[in-house]
Amino acid sequence: MSTTQSEGGKPKLSVRRIRKSFRLNTVLKDINLDIYPGNVVALIGGNGAGKSTLMKIIMGIYKQDDGDIAIDGEKADLANPAAALARGIYLVPQEPMLFPNMTVEENITIGFTENKADLRRRLTDLTAQMNWRVDLTRKAVSLSIAEQQLVEILRGLLRNSRILILDEPTSALTFDEVESLFRIVADLRDKGISIIYITHRLAEVFRIATHVAIMRDGSITLQGPVGNFTRDDLVRGLLPPDAQQRERAERRPPPARTGKPVFSLRGYSGYGFADIDLDVYPGEIVGLAGVVGAGRTELATTIFGRDIVRGGSVVLDGEDITGLSTRAVIDKGVNYVPEDRFLNGIFKISDVAANTSAACLRRLPGLFLPRREEKSLAQRFVDGFRIRVTGLDQPLGSLSGGNQQKVVIGRALSTNPKFIILDEPTRGIDAAARGDVYAIINELKEKGVAILLISSDMEEIVELSDRAVTMYHGRINRRFEKADISQDNLMAAAFGAAV
Amino acid sequence: MGELKRIVPLRELTSVGFVVAIFLLVGMVNPNFLSAQNIMLCLNGSVVFIMLSVGIAFVIISGEIDVSVGATLGLAATVSATMIRDDMPWSLAVAAAVLVGLMVGLLNGVGVVAFKVPSIIMTLGTNGIVRGLCYVYSSGKWVENLPFGYKSLSQATLTGRPGSISWFFFATAVVTLLVYIYQTHTNRGRHFYAVGDNEGGATLIGIPVGRTRIIAFVLCGVFASLAGLMYVSRIGFVTPVAGMGYEMKAIAACVLGGVSLSGGIGSVIGAAMGAIIMASIGRILVFMQFSSNYDNTITGILLITIVVADALLQRRAAERARRTLLTAKTAITPEEGLP
Repeated sequence: MSTTQSEGGKPKLSVRRIRKSFRLNTVLKDINLDIYPGNVVALIGGNGAGKSTLMKIIMGIYKQDDGDIAIDGEKADLANPAAALARGIYLVPQEPMLFPNMTVEENITIGFTENKADLRRRLTDLTAQMNWRVDLTRKAVSLSIAEQQLVEILRGLLRNSRILILDEPTSALTFDEVESLFRIVADLRDKGISIIYITHRLAEVFRIATHVAIMRDGSITLQGPVGNFTRDDLVRGLLPPDAQQRERAERRPPPARTGKPVFSLRGYSGYGFADIDLDVYPGEIVGLAGVVGAGRTELATTIFGRDIVRGGSVVLDGEDITGLSTRAVIDKGVNYVPEDRFLNGIFKISDVAANTSAACLRRLPGLFLPRREEKSLAQRFVDGFRIRVTGLDQPLGSLSGGNQQKVVIGRALSTNPKFIILDEPTRGIDAAARGDVYAIINELKEKGVAILLISSDMEEIVELSDRAVTMYHGRINRRFEKADISQDNLMAAAFGAAV
Repeated sequence: MGELKRIVPLRELTSVGFVVAIFLLVGMVNPNFLSAQNIMLCLNGSVVFIMLSVGIAFVIISGEIDVSVGATLGLAATVSATMIRDDMPWSLAVAAAVLVGLMVGLLNGVGVVAFKVPSIIMTLGTNGIVRGLCYVYSSGKWVENLPFGYKSLSQATLTGRPGSISWFFFATAVVTLLVYIYQTHTNRGRHFYAVGDNEGGATLIGIPVGRTRIIAFVLCGVFASLAGLMYVSRIGFVTPVAGMGYEMKAIAACVLGGVSLSGGIGSVIGAAMGAIIMASIGRILVFMQFSSNYDNTITGILLITIVVADALLQRRAAERARRTLLTAKTAITPEEGLP
């Protein structure tokens, strides 16, 4: 990756043939990356592409299985964060890791062994040189996210860091704050600092990066100076190579949309999303795409009564259900299959039957739990969904991921919902189980259930959805009819690129 | 005064003010409480709790808890008192007591850090083990007939007259101040706060999180054994249940003095002030004409009340921070886009 700025010089940071696996899951395959002084390398990639793992290896938090990292052409052993810091690498995490109860000055100077007066002099020199105004005596807890990032960057610079990693620095900044962050990045670049800039926004790449690298499935699929690429090149780099063909194979005529929408959002706002207008018709699957942090899950959990509604309305079957409790929302006929089934979805040591009946216990008759009814309910779903179990008394934790997911969906269906939200229904499950889950989703659709399908897997949205929308920064930024849904379009919109 | 303010900031002055206010309040009900003699009794009587609280503050500030300090005090007291009774050199007895505290602290620290046992469970376990050792070591008997010389240590006062500040209190105050300066004005001392405030952040800037926690537990054990040595001199005999329940008082003292159980906030000066109140609750009750039987009940009520209030405030702050973050994310409309 040599450019005019770096010709002849040694790369500041050079990553060679890095591999990393967690158990059987290969996360990084042969990563090669060079960064020269004064480079701003934008690193982009979808969820699970391996960006954070790579950064954690560079920061000494993880150890690579294979491959080398060199700094200034010299091999570096980054066994722990202290070693990485000593070699001049500093990571500004997505959500700043300050000590909320300490002052700004304490936050910046902690971990140093040198004399306090010297430190303070260096710090004031640094802020003067950068022309930044910071009140060193404020408590960190009172700082805005942008100010916290500034403190993090100062922390790195005071350590004489020459390699700064900024992990999605703009994800929680306002418009003006983004502008001033860009100025800071440009300043640092001009001073010869090497910057790895992780982002989910293509627009930012062209705005401040000198180079770009795209990661997908643990590999870098494209890298080089920004000038060599167009927006379309980047979008293509984010997609799997066979995307185009598969898309055509899956294309079917859209179903005739009949009657009134069963589920409608009007100007719906809450924490993490705003002004959402959306209709879902009976027997329709609406895909909701977007990157992590776009507000999709917040939207779903707020509909499900888990957080405060700040404005707008939710109408189910002509009835306003805005702001009802989770229990009431389920009773009205809405259900939600959460994104992280380990965290929110399953009762791991309970058996399959208990897990299936958990959502409709109140509807089963009698004072004591009717084991027979519970069994027949569970048996119905186990048979219907081809869930592979040794028996209904098998603990759920011992099932494979795909079968667990089927049980969780089965549970959501046991309440006979009119509208169901599936949040990343096939994340982390194998191809065969994925086919089964898709079959279940299509069956539901045939039965006339309205489905909102949240997914970061664009292929999944293309395959299942009758219509799709993308969320970007908490708002719906694009709507697609069946004919327009393609991985290209979805990916571009999810990353905020104007199409 | 300016200099004093720089070293001891507002939060600590507040906790001193709190002690004064409580004493004045009790004094309004019963003026005898404010007699010089009674105040001296309260202060001199608080040395054991101050030592325990200063030690446990290390652990609480770094985000953990230690409920084994009462038993550690008991074992250190039993071992040292036995040696003193048997006319062994006092220096050896002191060394043995410190060794007891060090070992228990090390065990707690390694269990919590290396084996990842939750600190409440780990120290509850060592509490049982160590208390058991008190019975084994003493065969369940009291350690009595200690030489007058050792017992009189706790009676010695700065002026030489009874009823003034004891040397024990003076030493305890000096130690507390030194620990305070160490924790708040040295690089290593700040590590305890950093680890308790934000463990992930501490790791990222290269602070040895595990080692800092182990040191906190070891210091806590050592301070408990020093408290045990003072306990022997003050009480004059040691039963196998010596120090039982003191952990609640020490934890309550920290919490009362503004040390947050979630870690990262508070100081040993606050903890020491809390300890003076804790040590005086019995007397306060008597002077207010209540039975001192209420002592533990009141301590427990105080502890829970303050912790619940603290937790509610923290939860509100966390929720507010989450909302601000999420709100910021929706602040850019797609129309504005990026330039």
